Amino acid sequence: MGARRRRLATTAATVALVLGGWYLLALLMDASGDALASSKLPYPHSVLRPVLDNPDTLLDAAWATLSTALLGFVVGGAIGIALSVVMAQARWIEAATLPYLLLAQMMPLIALVPLIRSIVKSDSLTRLLMAAFVTFFIVTLSALRGLKDCAPAADELFRAYDIGPVKRLRHLRFPSAMPYIFSGLKLAAPLSLVGAIVVELMNARSGLGFLMLSALTFGPAQAPMLWAAMLVTLAMGLALSRAVGIAERLLTPWQMRFREEAR
Amino acid sequence: MEGVPDTSGADGAVAAPAAAPAAITVDRVTKVFDAADRTVTALEEVSFDVPRGGFVSLIGPSGCGKSTLLRLVAGLLPASGGEIAVGGIAPREARRRRQFGIVFQQPILFDWRTVAQNVALPMELLGRSRGEIDARSRELLALVGLADFADHRPWQLSGGMQQRVSIARALTLAPPYLLMDEPFGALDMITRDRMADELLRIWSEAIDTTVLFITHSIPEAVLLSDRVVVLSARPGRVAATVEIDLPRPRTAEVRETPEFFALESELRRQLLAAEQA
Repeated sequence: MGARRRRLATTAATVALVLGGWYLLALLMDASGDALASSKLPYPHSVLRPVLDNPDTLLDAAWATLSTALLGFVVGGAIGIALSVVMAQARWIEAATLPYLLLAQMMPLIALVPLIRSIVKSDSLTRLLMAAFVTFFIVTLSALRGLKDCAPAADELFRAYDIGPVKRLRHLRFPSAMPYIFSGLKLAAPLSLVGAIVVELMNARSGLGFLMLSALTFGPAQAPMLWAAMLVTLAMGLALSRAVGIAERLLTPWQMRFREEAR
Repeated sequence: MEGVPDTSGADGAVAAPAAAPAAITVDRVTKVFDAADRTVTALEEVSFDVPRGGFVSLIGPSGCGKSTLLRLVAGLLPASGGEIAVGGIAPREARRRRQFGIVFQQPILFDWRTVAQNVALPMELLGRSRGEIDARSRELLALVGLADFADHRPWQLSGGMQQRVSIARALTLAPPYLLMDEPFGALDMITRDRMADELLRIWSEAIDTTVLFITHSIPEAVLLSDRVVVLSARPGRVAATVEIDLPRPRTAEVRETPEFFALESELRRQLLAAEQA
C-alpha cells in the first residue's frame, strides 16, 4: 500500500509541476505585451473551456483518430513481429533486410501521405497504413533482439529432443522474447496516434488532426481548441501505453518485475 | 589401473559383445574445433564404454573436454574422428529417437511454466495426451520429492530443488540413457551431498537407465559410479579408468567406509597424475 501511495503522490506532484510551469509561461507570455498571447499559449483553464463547451466535437474527433490508430497499431505490431521472426531465422536475412527497414524509417512521413492516399484512394485506409508504418519498426527491432536473446543451453535442450523450429519458436523463443516484444509495443502504441494524426493534418475530414488544422485556420480565437486536441492526443497516448502495460502484466505474470505481486 | 582404457575387446565394433553388452561405446574419438585462426583439439583418441544399466563418471580438470564429450555422445555435436555408438546406433539417430535425458549444470527451467509444466515439457512437445502428461509428471515429481510444488514457479524454488525438477524432466520420457553434465556443480556442498544421495535413490528406481555423469567432485564420482574415467587436459585423453567395486545398493553411510577412502585417494592420485602429464 505504501508503494502505491508513493506512486500516486509522485503523479500528483508531476501534474502540479507541469500545470504550474504552464501557468508561469502563459503569464510571462501575457506580460510580454503580445496582443495575441492568449492564442499562442492560452492559460490551462481556458483550454478547458472548449472541452466543456463542445465535448462531442472533441470526443468524435478523438474516437475517429483512436479507432484508426488502434487498427494501425495492431497491423503494425503484427507485421513487426512477423518480420522479426523471419529476420531471426538467419544472420544473412537480418543483414539483407535491416538496412532497408532503416531507410524506410528515414522517409519523410509528410511526403509519404499523399503518395499512399493516391494509391489506396481511401482516407481511413491511409491513416491506418501510416499508423502501421510508424509502429512496425520499433516492434521489429525489439522483438528481434528478444528472439535472439535465448540461453544456448535452452536451445540445446530442445535440440536434444529433436524439436522442430515451429515448436521451438512457440515454446522457447517466443515466450522468452515476450518482455522485449512488450517494451516495443509500449513505445509503438502512442506513435500510432502520431501516424494517424499526420494524415489527418493533411486534408482529412475527421479526427484530432483535422480538429487541430481547423482550429489553426479559424484564427486566434480557436487556439484553446488546438491545445485541447493536443492534450487529448497526449492523454490517449499515455492510456494506450498503459493498456499495453496492463496486457503485459496479465499475459506474462512470470516476469521478474511482476513477481513480488504474484507471490 | 593402467592407462589403457578398457574397450571390452569390441575394438570399434558396434555389435554388442555377449558377456556385458555395452550401452554406450566411445571408440578413439577425436574432436577438433576450428577457430578463426587456429584449430583446437578438445579430445584426442578417447575410448571407454558404459555397460547397460551402468553408471559411469567422467572426471577431469576443467578444460579437459568433458562437456564436449557429453555433447558428442548426445549427438548434439559431430565427432571429428573415431566412432560412438549408443545402443548400437549413431548418437544423432539415438537423439532423433528421443533416447536421451539430459541434465545440464544450470537447471534451464522456464519461468512461464509451472514446475509440473516444466517436467511435462518433453511430453507436451511430442504431443502426448493430457492424461498421460498429468499422471507422469505427478509420478516424477513424487520421485524427486517435489510433489507439493507442482504448481509453484521455478523461481520460487531453491537451487537444489530446481535441479531436481530438471532431473525429473530428463526422466520424463523414461529414456534409456541419462546424460548429466556437472548437474550439482552450481550447488553448495551440503545440498550437493544430499543431491548425490537422492540421485542414487532415483537411479535405483529408474530401472535399466544407463548414466553418463560428468563431475569434478571425487567423492561424488566414487559414491555414484560403477566406473570412473579420468581425463587429462588439453587435449582431453583418457588417463586412467578406475572400477568402483563398492557393493550396491549404496547409501550415504558408504562414505564412511575405508574402501570408500581408498578409492577416493586412488582417484585423487590418478587425477593429479593426469594434471601433471
